[in-house]
Amino acid sequence: MKNSLQRRVKKRTIILVMFSLVWLGALVLRLVQLQVINANQYRSIVLDQNQNTIDVIPKRGTIYDRNGTILARSMPNPSLAFRPPQGESINSQLNKINKISEICALSSDRLKSIQSQIEEQKPFIWIKRKIDPEEADKVMSLQLNGFYLEDEKKRFYPQGKLASHLIGRVGMDDNGQSGVELKYDSVLLGYKGRRLTFKDAKRRDYQHEIIEQPIPGKDLILTIDETIQYFAEKELAKAVTTRSADWGIVIVSHPGTGEILALANYPDFDLNHPPSSIELWGKIRAIQHLFDPGSTFKIVIASAALESGRVSFSDVFDCSQSQLYAGKIFRDHDDFETLAFPDVIIHSSNIGTIQIGQRIGEQNLYDMIQTYGYGQKTGVDLPGEERGILNPIKKWTPISLASLSIGYEISVTAIQMLQAINVIANRGVATRPMIVKNIVLNREKIQKQPYEYRRVITEEVASRLIDIVQKVTEVGTGTAAHIEGYSTAGKTGTAQKYDPAIGSYSTSKHTASFVGFAPVETPLFSMVVVIDNPKGLFYGGQVAAPVFREIGRQIFRYLRIPPKPIPPRTFITADNRRPQDQ
Amino acid sequence: MITKKVNKKNLVLSIFAGFFVIFFLTFYIWHQAESVRIGYKTKDLEEEIERLRGDIEQLETHKASLLSLDRVEQMARQELRMVLPSEKQIIFEKSNEDLRQQNR
Repeated sequence: MKNSLQRRVKKRTIILVMFSLVWLGALVLRLVQLQVINANQYRSIVLDQNQNTIDVIPKRGTIYDRNGTILARSMPNPSLAFRPPQGESINSQLNKINKISEICALSSDRLKSIQSQIEEQKPFIWIKRKIDPEEADKVMSLQLNGFYLEDEKKRFYPQGKLASHLIGRVGMDDNGQSGVELKYDSVLLGYKGRRLTFKDAKRRDYQHEIIEQPIPGKDLILTIDETIQYFAEKELAKAVTTRSADWGIVIVSHPGTGEILALANYPDFDLNHPPSSIELWGKIRAIQHLFDPGSTFKIVIASAALESGRVSFSDVFDCSQSQLYAGKIFRDHDDFETLAFPDVIIHSSNIGTIQIGQRIGEQNLYDMIQTYGYGQKTGVDLPGEERGILNPIKKWTPISLASLSIGYEISVTAIQMLQAINVIANRGVATRPMIVKNIVLNREKIQKQPYEYRRVITEEVASRLIDIVQKVTEVGTGTAAHIEGYSTAGKTGTAQKYDPAIGSYSTSKHTASFVGFAPVETPLFSMVVVIDNPKGLFYGGQVAAPVFREIGRQIFRYLRIPPKPIPPRTFITADNRRPQDQ
Repeated sequence: MITKKVNKKNLVLSIFAGFFVIFFLTFYIWHQAESVRIGYKTKDLEEEIERLRGDIEQLETHKASLLSLDRVEQMARQELRMVLPSEKQIIFEKSNEDLRQQNR
């Protein structure tokens, strides 16, 4: 009896142990499956459920003008995002989206894109990036589950249209797309950080932890002067509209350092509401548009003539008749007789300059053009600078020397023309044009951008050229550029535009230009003005030179430099009376 | 029954040691709690500083947009009916250097 009971107990014990072992084995196998075989899969599910790593976009650096005026700054601007709540049906999610689509003024394309993302069951969907604060408040007041505001920054340009092409714009992710914003994108951008967000069972964020601190972008101080930029833009807009021109460019620089004080392109645009067409916002004409310089190029010819010693100051040239070169007739804009070398440049005689060009010779002229920097980038710190077109001598035709002498068969940018006049203003030294003066590394430390100089012509030749270009604004083709009470110098240019439709230069379309500087003794500013396709009056001296005068006058006023008093025009007479007779 | 005579000195020392341990632990806990509290406060203040910096930046930017030359000129011309002065109406201030030279 006792043995039978013991056997039964033993049997049951064995069964129980066996069952326990099987159960334990199954448990172990399941654990191995969960913890070893499918470990990565489940880990990612868990992490996705209770935490989330988000990139923290650093604050983009601010752009200032040379006096500390804010030109571009990133300001907090939230973006509306949607994280579909777990277990919510797609229909319910779509209903929510439809509810807010009107408040957010979502376009039909955008709405379709969001709807398709919901149907694809994406865990995170942007509804509207950089949303208007009022719209955001309205959406959040509905208290719809799944919608939340993500901290972001939006670029704001307090000056609106000012220096729009120069500053450039940024994209939705705060990446530079044009202008300084693009050129210095890596400096302005900073470095992304990372943030760990913990979520509760309902996938709501309840705690944040910064894993990696974002490093904010560095600030830039430009060489631009807000006030001079404003003068330049205002006068340029006036000139382009009154002359019904297609577009215009003004660049103002400090010749001694190469610092650009103003760079205006017209038509311009409001940086806070940029146009959609890249043609309107993406092109900085001042450094990218190529055109024939026309007579402004004669300063290079004069430099080559004096530097090579092939022409002396007292040489005279017969400019009375039109000239035939390699089957092409060259004419002057006015009737001249014989002109001395300086007068050829002062009165911008094509016939005289062509004769000077013949004396200089191809190689000397080519070398001088290259020394001035034509056909090469000036090195200005803006994106997409064009180098221009200067054909090598082996590609020249019999007419090339004559054409080049009067500024054709070469394509230049406005900034190259400015660099050329700066050579004269600086007594023979070229400076690299620059836009960024300083990079602010932190609150105390700034990194100054270096100036670059190179000698182009001798000081003696430069001094002689200064006398000539000064006369241009006193008695020559550029008298409209003369600013009363100040000494000015410059050169006018009028070039026929190449018309691809007829395959030659148009007789009705011109590019009017003026390059100059003031005051002559110690130049404070140099300037290039280019007006494209003006209607009616089209000479550089009539269209571009007055723009130089008006901007120059305002710059002098702004810099508080008084005009020099003009001596009274009286005759000196001898008084033969003795003092006691008076 | 054998009773051991309690050494008064040891008793006092033990009580004192007990108090010391309690005091030390209390102080430690208080110190830890206070450190955490100050840590939170510092974090809050840092956040407040950042927020105020953001406000300053926002105000600076707003000021810059209000003082933009285009807006100022429009206001001067349209609201205040101002016009640009003619050349003769402009008097340049004399610099200190000019005045010194004039007095010599």
